[in-house]
Amino acid sequence: MSKAFLMKGFQSLRGNPMDVTACEINELMTIKSIETIDPEMRDFLFSLGCFEGRTITLISILGSTYIVNISDARYSIDAQLAQAIKV
Amino acid sequence: MRIALAGNPNSGKTTLFNAITGSIESVGNWPGVTVARKEGEVKRNLYKKNEAIRIIDLPGTYSMSPFTLEERITRDFVRNESPDVIINIIDANNLSRSLVYTTQLLELGVPVVVALNKWDTVKQKQTDINTETLSKQLNCPVIPISAIQNQGLRILIETCYQIKGKKQIAPYRCMIVENVEHVAESDKKRFEFVSAIVTEAEKRKVTSDKQTIHDTIDRIVANRYLGMPIFAIILYAVFSISQSTIGPWIADYMVAGIDSLYVFAESAMSEAVSPLLKTLLLDGIIGGVGAIVGFLPLIMVLFFMLALLEDSGYMARVAVVMDPIMKKVGLSGRSIIPMVISTGCAIPGIMSTRTIKNERERRTTAMLTSFMPCGAKLPVIALFAGVFFQEAAWVGTLMYFLGILVIIFGAYVIRKINNDTSKKSFFIMELPEYRWPSVKRAFTSMINQGKAFVTKAVTIILISNVVVQIMQTFTWQFQLVEEGLEATSILANISSPIAFAMIPLGFGIWQLTAAAVTGFIAKENVVGTLAVVFGITNFINTEELILVSGSIEVAGIFGLTSVAALAYLVFNLFTPPCFAAIGAMNAELESKKWLIGSIAFQLGMGYVLAYLIYQIGTFATTGQLGSGAFAGLFTVLVLIGIVLLIITKNSVETTLKVQ
Repeated sequence: MSKAFLMKGFQSLRGNPMDVTACEINELMTIKSIETIDPEMRDFLFSLGCFEGRTITLISILGSTYIVNISDARYSIDAQLAQAIKV
Repeated sequence: MRIALAGNPNSGKTTLFNAITGSIESVGNWPGVTVARKEGEVKRNLYKKNEAIRIIDLPGTYSMSPFTLEERITRDFVRNESPDVIINIIDANNLSRSLVYTTQLLELGVPVVVALNKWDTVKQKQTDINTETLSKQLNCPVIPISAIQNQGLRILIETCYQIKGKKQIAPYRCMIVENVEHVAESDKKRFEFVSAIVTEAEKRKVTSDKQTIHDTIDRIVANRYLGMPIFAIILYAVFSISQSTIGPWIADYMVAGIDSLYVFAESAMSEAVSPLLKTLLLDGIIGGVGAIVGFLPLIMVLFFMLALLEDSGYMARVAVVMDPIMKKVGLSGRSIIPMVISTGCAIPGIMSTRTIKNERERRTTAMLTSFMPCGAKLPVIALFAGVFFQEAAWVGTLMYFLGILVIIFGAYVIRKINNDTSKKSFFIMELPEYRWPSVKRAFTSMINQGKAFVTKAVTIILISNVVVQIMQTFTWQFQLVEEGLEATSILANISSPIAFAMIPLGFGIWQLTAAAVTGFIAKENVVGTLAVVFGITNFINTEELILVSGSIEVAGIFGLTSVAALAYLVFNLFTPPCFAAIGAMNAELESKKWLIGSIAFQLGMGYVLAYLIYQIGTFATTGQLGSGAFAGLFTVLVLIGIVLLIITKNSVETTLKVQ
């Protein structure tokens, strides 16, 4: 069982949505919310089409960097951003 | 007629601008290449009418987020420039993101034509886009084009004519919004509206969320452990081709040309020409400028290679690899873009720091980015690599990596000085798909760089060399310097006191100091001045240098050991850049305090680095410390002490404020 799988189970038990760092690779996820106190980050993600209701796919994890697919484009995001995106 | 060009970052806007106007602005396969406003005339062969068409590039790529945040910029622009038609260029591979901006443009009341760029790659991917549906839904003409392959441009311009002055009804209109929440609500609806259009018009055979070959490559080149070594190997390859093999090979031919010009000019001048004028022309102008122009092939080959790299999309991955390291010192991967641009010239590099939102991060990057070796520093690197290190490619590679290290260390120190404990800024970077780099564009970039280089050589450098030659020929009493009394010249007199301070760095000779000082005007001057003060016309061909200096070792001309030569090279690379770059820093830092701090920091950095290299290197090679070791150590300790003092002072002040 993968770590991500365990995380997923654990988080769903607690009723919390999980974030992108815990996603399975290649799995199309729907964004539940963007949780950040930084309005700039929220606006920024919004402008890329990354907000609740939209989809996101984790493509690969390179160290502390997450490659994701949002609205037909590839982005490299850091852990801080990945944690803000709840799915 | 006036046409405005608007589009998202990396949609191919600059490529289209170049294709339409025939100009050669630099392009890169990553977002945010364009910072300054551009305007041009549409090429005559693209349309039949007599009226001239101006095309204005909308300066919209300040950030990676072109929509909500930049709506205001777009509105202001349209109000100020009053274009007749807007061409909205979009990346056809990414409709869902690009069309949001399109719907905003359509609300401005100016007729819009949508140019669906990168149409060739859409076909390759077997994605089917129904342009008629798009056009109907958006209520404006949609023209598929390929800016790279020059396809569809004529129809695009023709369409602009047809819709000029016509009314378009915006398909989506945002309600009048009063507060921020409503804006967000309205924008969400906008996204939904666009999604609906895309679903209707676009049929993808391969959906974008599937793994592709690009992702596989990313996993290797942006790998946590492999990323840096791969970058090092690539840089090394670039250097060995440009500085050790193809570059010098072409350069040899050019140098032969300059030599024959020298001989021709010498023979053409009759005995009647005053010897003073003769040396000024031969040694000052042909010698000094020729010495620099000899390096032109090396530089052009290097820029050709760098342009290929940039075009391939690889540089965005370098930013990803560097991000975790940059985070540790309070910067982010965003700072890599100015650094990469600075390898061409620090001025656009410093200007591009505008794309960084965080103020401290922006200023830190603007202040440090010029540590990357730029085109003007290359002749200096090539000269020392050639004369002292047998044209080894590792010298150039080392200087680039040293540049990166110095920037990382500098950022760390600046963060401490500012006592900034604020949270790290987040990092996001679009990863454009890899593509085969265009040889044509690399060639254009190379010609651009070559042109700029030659222009500088025959203006600033030429004047500097003449001045240096005159200062070297005369004493303060405007008497000709007598043979054997070179130290009485104006140049020697001015440089000697400064040279004294350079003894601990291994090059306390007035000639070398004079060259380093003229380097602050423009870095190419270092080579030019060295050529003038040592009377050498040819730096490329080291065999000839051996002839010039007789049986003495080549390096003996400068009176330097290899270690001292490396220290001198480092001193030239890591002290303040040219005047023009300092001007750009002044503009971007927007603070005299930061500017003065930057220059002081750069001077100190160059001095300390050169000192360490010379003294440690000398100790390692000869077992003894170099001359002036203790005086230098004192200076270095004082410099470090000042920095530590400022750090402590600022940290105490912050603590007091908190209390």
